[in-house]
Amino acid sequence: MPLPLERHTLANGLRVVLHRDPRLPLVAIDLWYHVGSKHDRPGRTGLAHLFEHLLFEGSAHVRPGDHFRLVQEAGGVANGSTWFDRTNYYETLPSHQLDLGLWLESDRMGFTLPAIDRHKLDTQRQVVINERRQRIDNQPYGRANERLFELLYPEDHPYHWPVIGYVEDLEHITIDDVRTFFRTYYAPDNAVLTLAGDVDPEHALARVEHWFGELPPGGGVPRPAVPPVPAAGERREVMVDRVRLPRVYMAFDAPPYGTDDWYAGDLWVAAMSEGKASVLHQDLVYRRQLAQEVACYLFPTEETAMLLVLATARPDVEPQRLEDAVSEHLRRSAEEPLAEAQLERALSRLLAAHYSELQTLGRRADRLSWLTTFFDDPAALATVPERYARLTAEDVRAFVAAHCRPHRRVVLTVMPAAERSGSTP
Amino acid sequence: MSRPAVDRRRPPPPGVRRPFRFPPFAHRRLANGLDLWVAPFPHLPLVDLEIVVDAGGQHAPRHRPGLPSLHGALLSEGTESLTAPQIAQRMERLGGTLSSGVDWNVAGASASALAVHLEAAFELLVEVVRRPSFPAQEVERLRRQRLAELLRQRDQPRALAERHFARTVYGDAPYGFPLLGSEAALQAIERPEIVDFYRRHVHPGGAALVATGDVDPERLMALAEAALADWPAAEPAGEPAIEPLVLEHNKVVLVDRPEAAQTQLKMGHASVPRRHPGYPVRVLLNAILGGSFISRLNLNLRERHGITYGVRSSFVRRRGPGPFQIDSALATEAAGKAVREILAEVERIRQEPVSAAELDGARGFMIDVFPYTVQTLNDVSQRLEDLSVYRLGDDYYEHFPAQLADVSAAQIRDAAQRLLHPQRMAIVAVGPAAQLAPQLEPFGPLEIVSP
Repeated sequence: MPLPLERHTLANGLRVVLHRDPRLPLVAIDLWYHVGSKHDRPGRTGLAHLFEHLLFEGSAHVRPGDHFRLVQEAGGVANGSTWFDRTNYYETLPSHQLDLGLWLESDRMGFTLPAIDRHKLDTQRQVVINERRQRIDNQPYGRANERLFELLYPEDHPYHWPVIGYVEDLEHITIDDVRTFFRTYYAPDNAVLTLAGDVDPEHALARVEHWFGELPPGGGVPRPAVPPVPAAGERREVMVDRVRLPRVYMAFDAPPYGTDDWYAGDLWVAAMSEGKASVLHQDLVYRRQLAQEVACYLFPTEETAMLLVLATARPDVEPQRLEDAVSEHLRRSAEEPLAEAQLERALSRLLAAHYSELQTLGRRADRLSWLTTFFDDPAALATVPERYARLTAEDVRAFVAAHCRPHRRVVLTVMPAAERSGSTP
Repeated sequence: MSRPAVDRRRPPPPGVRRPFRFPPFAHRRLANGLDLWVAPFPHLPLVDLEIVVDAGGQHAPRHRPGLPSLHGALLSEGTESLTAPQIAQRMERLGGTLSSGVDWNVAGASASALAVHLEAAFELLVEVVRRPSFPAQEVERLRRQRLAELLRQRDQPRALAERHFARTVYGDAPYGFPLLGSEAALQAIERPEIVDFYRRHVHPGGAALVATGDVDPERLMALAEAALADWPAAEPAGEPAIEPLVLEHNKVVLVDRPEAAQTQLKMGHASVPRRHPGYPVRVLLNAILGGSFISRLNLNLRERHGITYGVRSSFVRRRGPGPFQIDSALATEAAGKAVREILAEVERIRQEPVSAAELDGARGFMIDVFPYTVQTLNDVSQRLEDLSVYRLGDDYYEHFPAQLADVSAAQIRDAAQRLLHPQRMAIVAVGPAAQLAPQLEPFGPLEIVSP
């Protein structure tokens, strides 16, 4: 089911993807900048994300507060997000408001610098610190995720620190840091713009050229250095948190998004933990009732990818017992191919999820910008089902055998605070 | 090559608006009372199927909060001919998922699958709704899992705020507990009560089948006739009386988490059922006060004061008198200031008419955002379910934009005065009580509880 696509590049290097689907009178605008937390540096972590907040505070021709106000009054929805490899800004608007979206996005790409000031930085710094507290510091198990990245990747690795940054670093970010960041990374030749929905490609391209064509290219962005992940032994840690149920995390380093290995890993993830009939759910949650829940996740990141397995213990289940059970499944996955029925089940699920995800124009635009940013290939979206479908049970076994080895894993156990005494090693 | 300078000084004018209509759907009622709703979307190889019945959380018997929820989850955990793992395996091999559960209004089972497997998915869905067996071992398994979940919620700031807010506003009424119920009730529920709940509440009276996706309405109607026309009719249970507590003044509840990094705040009071007249007025009132990013509350607390990542208000849509509520996660040292600002904003919208610009903005958003909210099969299913659950009428979505367009600033102020009570709110704060108590004492009598 390939989507109709056009791909263009403006003279200033801005890559443009156009996808027409006139079923609804909507257009999704999705602008990816190839900059994320991996471009932050130790001591100034969180800058890429804090910067994303500042880009909603107005530009030379858009007054502070007007971005959300104008989009909403037009019946649109807007937001942005920052992750390891990229920052994106997006809105879905009624299609007759295409120019409004392009005006807003081009103004912040080209004319944000004069609008940034100390007061906006200080306010958004506080908003972000509150965001961090809400999402991480005040959530049960909230710190575990970033601790896994810290443990798995060495200190100078660009995935070592959290996307949102550390509070101490956020407090040190200066207005000069912000300005330099904008000059370095926010330029048309470091961005991909996708328009999806009720657009006439010829007209849309002309409007993109009108709003973005005059913006000057940047000087090119160096990719951050990515040191190898050391083949050290198993790393273990116990974290004490305000939780009632212990939780065991295991993390491994795996090949990056887009590789055949990554797809094999993702198929394994679906077989093990997606749905009630998945292997880990059936065994640990349903049959033996050791776990309250299980989950696996393979990060779709660009440099390398973390594979995560987590299991939350039922009350009165020792975390060691749960860990042993998970380890046993990993060992078996490395030695024996998945049962054909399980492979088929996982594949069906992934295909349905793939089609289901593409129902909204916003997700479609996002996937197209993503594939263009990483691989310069929006048409790769149509090949996703096939990338999964051609995998065999042996491919999946080989993935686990190669990348989920006990002597290269991180094991993090989160323990209830009350049980601290006695269980500390 | 020179190009003409681009005029960026003001927002570009819109082009020509394309009209939008809610997707076409078929609606029919079987002789036994079951409503059938089908919206065809042939562009995707997927189908969404759902059966909802009048067995929602609102029907919790006295002393049995959590019974409807346990019952709803058990529908898909074993039938007369299939075990729980067999149901999951069969469904997931169709590229689908099947789940069952409740909200406050209804219980439901839903299946989504690749469209080529429509018939098999439909058959399974009917099986779990009509022939669940509530196996004793699954009852015990889910009971244990839910008790652990309730235990775990005691560490979740939002769940804690929700729980103590509900208790303070609704007392022992069904809305006064989490949907999951209470520990005491979960421990006490016996299997015959679940079977009895099924007998009383799961039947075609007040129930609906909703289907969306790559499905021909006539074919689906024929499948439904064949599988559901012989489902014995029964009268709907009717609406239970849900009586909120009467608060004479603001009441502060502090849920003490001494080392919490932040404070979770939830405040508000009981309000009106979704069907209560004036829904479009409430939608706009809420949008302006706290229902969106550019609402008064969010601009005040987040953009002006920087003390939160966000704050939202809502009139929660229920068949009974659901709450009006304001939620935020805040810097603990700013909790007192936040409550003061929130109460002042509520008072202001009661006293002064909203400006024409605010009203136009909110109306523009609510009218023009509609297509965005019906992009997925699930979106459309939900809208059809709303037509059924709230008995809104088949042409409701055709007229809703005009109803919004008719709302005046005077109506909004009038609704704010009748429906918002800044002197009779439950104010629940989950965080370090020692720091919160001095800040929140001025707002009303204060109760400190542990999680």
